[in-house]
Parts: sequence; structure tokens; C-alpha cells
Amino acid sequence: MISFKDPYHRCDGVTRREALRAGVLTAFGVTLADWLRPGVRAAIPSSARRAILLWLDGGPSHLDTFDLKPEAPQEVRGPFRPIATQTPGIQISEYLPLTAKRMNRLAIIRSMTSPLGEHNLGSHYLLTGYKPTPALHYPSYGSVLAEVRGGKHALPPYIAIPEAVPSAQEGYLPRECRPFAVGGDPSRPDFRVRDLETYPEVTPRRLQRRNEFRLAFDRFHHPAEEREASREAGFDQAQRLLASNEARKAFDLTQEKSTVRARYGSRTLGQACLLARRLLEAGVPFVTVTDRGWDTHDNLVLRLKEGYTGGSVGKVPTLDQAFAALLDDLAERGMLETTLVLVMGEFGRTPKLNPGGGRDHWPRVFSAVLAGGGIKGGQVVGKSDRRGESPAERPITPEDLACTIYHTLGIQASHELHTRDGRPVPVNQQGRLIKELL
Amino acid sequence: MHPVLLFVLAVPAVTPPPVDFQTEVIPVLTRAGCNSGACHGAAAGRGGLHLSLWGADPEGDYDALVHDQEGRRVHWIDPERSLLVRKPTADLKHGGGRRFDPDSPSATVLLNWIRAGAEKRSLRRLVRFEVEPQTFQAKAVGDAVPLRAIAHFDQGKPVDVTALAVFSAVDPTSIELNATGRATIRQRGQHTILVRFLDRIVPVRITLPLGERPVALGAVPRTNFIDDEILATLKILQLPVSAPADDLVFLRRVSLDLTGSLPTPAQIEAFQKDRRADKRARLIEALLDSAEFNDFWTLKWAKLLRVDSRTLGPEGAKAYQRWLHQQIARNTPLDRLARELICATGDGHTQGAANFARTSATAGAQAEMVSQLFMGARLRCANCHNHPLDRWTQDDYHGLSALFARLERGRVVRYSTRGEVIHPRTGEPAQPRIPGERFLEGNGEERALLARWLTDPNNPYFARAMVNRLWKEMMGRGLVEPVDDLRSTNPATHPALLDRLARDLVEHRYDLRHTLRVIALSSTYQRSSSTTASNRGDDRFYSHALEKPLSAEVFSDALTTVTGVSESFGTLPLGTRAIALHDISIPAPALDLLGRCSRQGECDEDSPRGGLTQMLHLINGRLLNDRLTAKEGRLQQVLRSQRSDVAIVQEFYLLALSRPLRPAEQAFWNRHFQDARGADERRQLFEDFLWGLLTSREFGTNH
Repeated sequence: MISFKDPYHRCDGVTRREALRAGVLTAFGVTLADWLRPGVRAAIPSSARRAILLWLDGGPSHLDTFDLKPEAPQEVRGPFRPIATQTPGIQISEYLPLTAKRMNRLAIIRSMTSPLGEHNLGSHYLLTGYKPTPALHYPSYGSVLAEVRGGKHALPPYIAIPEAVPSAQEGYLPRECRPFAVGGDPSRPDFRVRDLETYPEVTPRRLQRRNEFRLAFDRFHHPAEEREASREAGFDQAQRLLASNEARKAFDLTQEKSTVRARYGSRTLGQACLLARRLLEAGVPFVTVTDRGWDTHDNLVLRLKEGYTGGSVGKVPTLDQAFAALLDDLAERGMLETTLVLVMGEFGRTPKLNPGGGRDHWPRVFSAVLAGGGIKGGQVVGKSDRRGESPAERPITPEDLACTIYHTLGIQASHELHTRDGRPVPVNQQGRLIKELL
Repeated sequence: MHPVLLFVLAVPAVTPPPVDFQTEVIPVLTRAGCNSGACHGAAAGRGGLHLSLWGADPEGDYDALVHDQEGRRVHWIDPERSLLVRKPTADLKHGGGRRFDPDSPSATVLLNWIRAGAEKRSLRRLVRFEVEPQTFQAKAVGDAVPLRAIAHFDQGKPVDVTALAVFSAVDPTSIELNATGRATIRQRGQHTILVRFLDRIVPVRITLPLGERPVALGAVPRTNFIDDEILATLKILQLPVSAPADDLVFLRRVSLDLTGSLPTPAQIEAFQKDRRADKRARLIEALLDSAEFNDFWTLKWAKLLRVDSRTLGPEGAKAYQRWLHQQIARNTPLDRLARELICATGDGHTQGAANFARTSATAGAQAEMVSQLFMGARLRCANCHNHPLDRWTQDDYHGLSALFARLERGRVVRYSTRGEVIHPRTGEPAQPRIPGERFLEGNGEERALLARWLTDPNNPYFARAMVNRLWKEMMGRGLVEPVDDLRSTNPATHPALLDRLARDLVEHRYDLRHTLRVIALSSTYQRSSSTTASNRGDDRFYSHALEKPLSAEVFSDALTTVTGVSESFGTLPLGTRAIALHDISIPAPALDLLGRCSRQGECDEDSPRGGLTQMLHLINGRLLNDRLTAKEGRLQQVLRSQRSDVAIVQEFYLLALSRPLRPAEQAFWNRHFQDARGADERRQLFEDFLWGLLTSREFGTNH
């Protein structure tokens, strides 16, 4: 059945080409009826139903994590050594030993390339697949997924832990597609996702009435724009969430066994990943976990390895434990094959160490890591040159990565979304599918 | 006669025509993307070849191509075997793939140049670059226009360089460009194409009217030059305008914009009763003179200047804020304000302006702040390489940084004899420099010289950057967006208006209040925000007023005004207004959730309102609920009084929306309130009424 309910999806008939395509799809197990269901029109056969992005905010050093250069001169190779991984021939940082043991599950792209070496610009590019322009604010992956999947679920479709990255917002899409930021620090014993508990006396019936009154005000104010306003405000989403005890439970980390909590590590990133896993399991299609502090302009040893002088809780070991636990946990629950896991930041770091023992911004080549969701693990795609300066083989742009992420999640690059004034914009432009990954 | 021409005349006729390196060879490389930042134009070059970004340094590029690597890029004997030709045509393995075909005009230019001896000729110099047409008005989607790029050199006839110019659309989904410079329009609206040749960039504006048919704007009132410019654009775009805002809408709007405060019921009554023809102008004057204006505009400057006790200490932040407040209250001209900030030294705990230097940890950070704030320019890109879209070079960035390098930034800011900034290209200390202008001696005068240059009436940046920000504060959108990114490649929606506002500011001695007054008086500002079916989609041409969400501080204060319950801020006395809260480190979780600017980076706007996170807080959080239920709050008090339901509703309408209840609304509320049984239910109904009011768009926006 073709439905006309959702005005944001153009269900105005199927062209011959699409009908043929639908026929082809049947061979992959997608029926014609599926294909014609609203929201599925954008779909292509895919293996991932949901995704988690570990956003390493600030720009992680590719040379000290996933693309080490042991043969390069001291000022390039830096303080860390590579170790072998479970996959013969692939080496990563010595402070990623747990990740190394799971190399069969992940693919490393070592030839990501971008010209944008400023945080906000680079973040926007990597998180949307579009270069920033004053003409239009583009939506991030989670927002696009929220828009395309739509639906009226109890849990919000796009969640950010703990806060949203400013450049990973809804862009031109309705505010309903903005990530829900849980706030707070999930590693604290008193951590609670804010504002999930109802205020005394405010029963569901009263809440309903409050909203009726709010809408009445809006109707009297601007009679013509009511529908849009309701998608902007987020009330319906909030109400659905509050009405479901089960949905709210997904935010409650105390429901997890202490052994599980320990596995992810006691630090913020680990507990944030665990919370993300709970939410994914409960049906949230996209979760971003933001880990700040990767803008390592000085003292790589302290920041990446130690955390505090003499310690061993720097950015890299903390990531290692959380990432490995997440992969295992997803696999044990049978979710890894249907969950795309992404690990990246907005750019890499300068090949040459600076006088402060740090590295500065370097977008020309950097790494991104993908796992699960049908990604073929145990491989490296692309290659940087000897000093980690430029892609040596198979340069991959953020457009290519975006195209591949959408593909994996079952969204066609050419699928058109609409801005507030109704103009169509494709989900992705100029991206080429990274076929090796699939 | 020119020596080069003499030489050309002397060679035998079989030699191919001379090819000019700078004006012919470099454009080939630019067009093919060879010298772009993503390729050989990157700071470190690529694949062993480094070219200057977009060919900014022809001398260096010549050496790189002809002399470096023992000259193996150019094969003198057998030009076809030159790497310079074989790489980009992918005859040899090339990281960048095939950039052009072996028989393309581009390859021919390179070959002819090598055949003629690969000389560093400079036959001519580019004087002017233009594109025809400069503007084009399309009639329908799918219309196309061929663009012609024309170079005027210091000698010879103008040359058609369309084949050598680089065309790009600012919004590629609106304009489709092919390789011959033909532009096809894909969306209605006003679009920009940038055309680059050598170091020049020219914007071309292509417009397809947003409305279907011509509009009559003759009867629309015009108060000043703003209206002339705005209406001229609306006519081209065929956008009809909304009606003028009525008195009470205007009163609410201008009070919020100038003072961050809702009008009081007494002000509303007085304004309604006032029958004088110039009552709007009188109101504007009164607001510009008010104490709230000083508080509110101090807050705006404090955000821009990132006043923050975490960096300045509580004493420094307080002194800075006090100083800013004084300047706003005294109406210090903006040029003087800028000069004092740039030049200030002294003890940050007593000399407020000295904290400007203390806010930036390094000279580079200060250079970025100065350029962003006072020039509307993002010099930051030029830290590592020349700015790809603007005129700024690494010399400019590090030169401006060097100008602040000798400042000691402790509690006491002083000019010392030591301190330098290393230029990454030379490895030497950078010489102080006024960006885009000239180098300076490092003798202690350099900041004063910069300040004088910046605030000179002929300076092209300062006044424009200022009026663009003021326009955004009043109108909801900058003429240039983002407001700190003024450059020829990011043109204003109304370039002539930006120029006129800037000139007007200079002519009126950089008077902040003057510009705000001119804007507030315009019919453009005084238009209704109610849209018509034909101008609803307009978000930048001002056919109707744009709704602006109230900033976190203004919203919070408005809640206090309406509910009679103050928000508490740290240890500050209860009743302190959020707009008077000039130090970000004072804890105010509600303000953070409402999108208060964190002041850690540039904050041109608070994050937009809406979405689930905020809605959940409005539903379950204490921000609203505590105020609705507070015993001493306005609602619970009036409920205990003997007032009628309709009188209570009426009072809240006036307080929150600055207007009386309309008959249809009265009927609606009557219907809901009439079947309340008992005091508890009545109370709950009113709490829900007020919740609906405080979360409504009409309350939460300035419209």
C-alpha cells in the first residue's frame, strides 16, 4: 500500500525504473510490498539496522592509533610502537592491545582525506558528508536516519551521549531529528539521564492538556504553520518516551550487572558506550558517543597513553577497553552483524611532532575504523604514504564514507530529503561506495 | 620596446607562439585543481611537488616545476615526455588520476610552453578580471546562461579566459555548471557562482524569482535607505511583503530587541493611548536611553569578548564587565571602543579593557579574535596556509600575531621587549604586519597603528563587520552569514545595503545607537512576521519579519516577569536578572539547557530552541514547574484572590504576549475553564494554561 500520510516522503507513484528495481530486490528477500511501504522507498538491501558512532572529538592522531610508521624518522613515528593484530600483516598501536585481538571484526581505512583542518569545518564535513557552506546546514547521519526511518517509537531515534556535537545536528531537517542529549557523566554513581522523571501532580492526562493548550496558543498565533511547529517542538516525542516505562528503563545504567559495567571500564567513555549499547538494544537506530580531548597539540605520551603522569588511562587505552567491550557485547547479543560501529574524528594529526611533543591538525590523511553491520573485518583499506602525510593509495573522501555509511544502513545516496522551504536535497552527493568494506 | 617582445620577434617563425607562464600555464594548473589545498597546493605539497595555493607565488611555482628534482618535470628535448604533461594526463601513474586529456587545450598549453623553452616569461600582468554577465535573471527552472570570463591585461586586448577560469557554485544543488562555464538554474532564489582566475575571484549572481508574478511594492512605506534597498531586491524576486506590524507587536519586538525585556502592562497601556504620529520613534529613543539597554548590550559585548572568570579571575571579569557597561552607558563610539581594547595595558583587576589581551592565551589567539570580531574575517585559515577563499596569507596571520607577541598576559598586561611569533614557512620570527597592508617595525607602536588603520573611515572591514552584527541582532539574520566571514567569495544578500549601513555608521561617528535607531525606524524592521502564502518560504529577503527565538537569558528573565518567581544564580541576590549576568562561570543550569553561549569559542548565536532535550526539561524540569506551583508566585497568588477566570487569563496575556485577549481566544478559554470543579481542579487548569502559554511560540520568540 502506498500511504500519503507523511508529507515529507513523496509517495507519488513508482516509476518504471523503480518498479524494475523493486523486482530485482525481491531476489534479495525484500518484497515489493516492503519496497512500496513509506520510508522503505529509500531503502536498499543492507545489513545494518542501527549504528553507533564513537566520535573522537578534536581529531585523533592516526600515527599513534591505527596507522603507525615504525620505519619513519623519530620525529614522525613518535613515542609509540606498533603491535601485531590478530590479522597477519596488520599492525596498530601498542596501546590498543584489546582492539588488536579483535582485528578480524574491524576494517581500518587509512586513506581518509579532507582539505578542512579546522575543528568546526572538519567536523561538519565528516559528520554530514557535505562540506560546510553558508547556503545550507546539512543534517548529520543520525538526523537523516531519524528522518528516513521516521516512525513513532517511544525512544528517540537519535541520541547523543553525553552532549551533541554542535556540527552533528539536524541541519535543514525538522528539529524532531535533532539528537537527544542525555547530559551528565555516565561514569558517576549518581548518574541519571535528566528530566525523565515526571513532576509531582503532572499526570499523563494533564500533560496531554498542557500540550493542547500549547497548540491552541500556536494556532491562534500562526494558524497556517501548526503542523510544522509540532514537529519542531519535540513534544510528541517527549510524550511517547514518558509514556513508556520500558523506554525509560533503557536509559538506566543501574540495570546492568556490575560485571558488565566493569568490562567497559569505569571511565566516562566506557560507561557511555555501555549506555549506547542499552539504547541500541532497545531499538534506537543511531547513537553518538562523543569522547573529547583528542586535540593533542602537546605531550602525546601524557594525553594519549598516561592520562596523568605515570598513569595508564590516557585516551588510547581508555578507547581500547571501551571499544573492545562494545564489540564483544554486541557480538554476544547477536547484534554486531546488524549494528554498524564507527570510530573516527574530524581529521588526523601532523606527521611531524611539534616542539611540545604533540601533533597539530592534519586533514590530508587520517584513519577511520568501521566494524559490524556487515562490514568485512580483518582488513585495511587504502594506505597513507611513508610519513603518513598523504594518501598513497585509494584516497577516500568524507563523501565516500558518508555514501557507504548510508548504504550500510539501507539508505540510497540519491534519496531526497526536503528543506523547510520544500527544496529537495539528496542524502549524499559525489560519494562513491567503498566496495571493499562490504 | 619591451625586451621580451624584441626577443620574440627575433626567433624563427616555426617556433610555437610564446606562452606566458603566469597568465597561461598557472591557470591551467589551477583549473585542473593541481594547486588546490587538497593537492600540490597543500602546505607540504604532495608526491614531492609543492605548488603555491591557487598559484599565489608564480616565482616559486616556476622553480618547483622547472628546477626542482634536477628539472625532470620538464623535458626540453622531447616535450611530450615531460612529467608535467604525462602525470596530469595519467600517461604515467599519478596519485591525482587523470586531470585532463592528452589532446585537451590544457595539455596543449603546457606542451607549447615547454616547446617554446619553458621560460619564466611575464608577457603581461592581469589588471582586471570580470565575468559576463555579472548578474542574470532566469525565468524558469532549467534556464541556462553561458558565462564568459574576461581578463584585462596591462597590454593587448581583453582575452576570453573562460576555458582557463574555475567556476564553482556556492550551492551546487541550485546551480549546475558545466566545463564550458554554462550555468543552469535548478532552484528558485538568489544564487552565487564564484569564478576564479589567477588570484582574482568574481561572484556572479543568478536569480530566479521566488514568486510567480511581478509584485506591486509602490504603496509599501519607505522610511529610509534600508527600505529602498530591501524593496529593490524583493521586486526582483517577486516577493510580496507582509503588512506592517501593529503597535503592540512593534512595542514588544523593539523592547525585546533593544532591552531584552518585555514591556510592562503600564508601558503597553501608555503606548496604546499615545496618539502622536511619531510615537514609535519616541519609544525607540526611550528604549535607547534606558538602563536595561545598557545591561542588555553589555551582555552582548561580554559574549563577543568572552568575558569569563575562569580565564580572567572573578576580579578581572568584574572589572571588564564594569568597563563595558560604562562604555555602553556613555555611548562610546565603536571605533574608540575597538581602539581601547586593542591598545589597553595595565592591571586587569582595575583596567577593564586590559582583559581583552588576557582573554587570549597566545598572540595567535588574539590575532584570530581581533580579525574575527573587528574585521569580520577568519584569519585562522591562514595559520597553516594562505586562505583558500580569501586574500589572507600566512604573512598576514603571523604578522598580526607578531603584533601582539610582546604582550605579557598575566594579571598585569604590559608591553615587553621580548616575545616573538615564528613564521612556520621561514622558521624565523614573523614581522608585525597589518593584514593585507604593510609590515611594521616592532617598536611598541604597532598596536596603535593597527587600531588606527582599522578604525580609519576608509577601512573596508571594521564598519561593515559592525553593522552586519547589529543588523543580525535586530533582524534575526546577518546580511552576511556567518557574521564573522565577510569576504568577496561569501557575498551579502544585499551588498549595497551593507555598504550603505557601513557608510552611515562612519558618517555618524560610529554611534552604536544611531545604527540601531536607523534599523528600528525602517519599515522593513516594522513589518509583521505573519506570512502570506507567497512569502512564507522567505528566510533572508525580509518580505516579513523573521521570528527570533528569545535567547536563554531573555527567555529566563521573561519567565520571571510573567510568573513572578526569580531564578537563582549561584550566590547572587535573588532577583538578579539573567541579562545582568555577565560572567558565564556563574552556575545557571537552566540557561545552559536553554542554549546559553559557553563563551569558550566564538558565539554568534545561542543554539536554536526546540528539540526533545529542551522539551523534556520544560515538561519535567523545575524551570517551569516550580514557578507555576510556587506559593508566592503570581499564579498561586491570583488564584487565591477573588479575581475572575477571564481577568486572570487577560493579565497573563498582557504580561507574556503584550496584547489583550481576542474574542476567539476568550471563547476558547471560557469553554475550558467553565467546567472546573473545585479549587484544586481550577488551580491545575490554570497551571496547565500557563504552561501552554510559556511554551508557546508566541511567548518564546520575538516576532
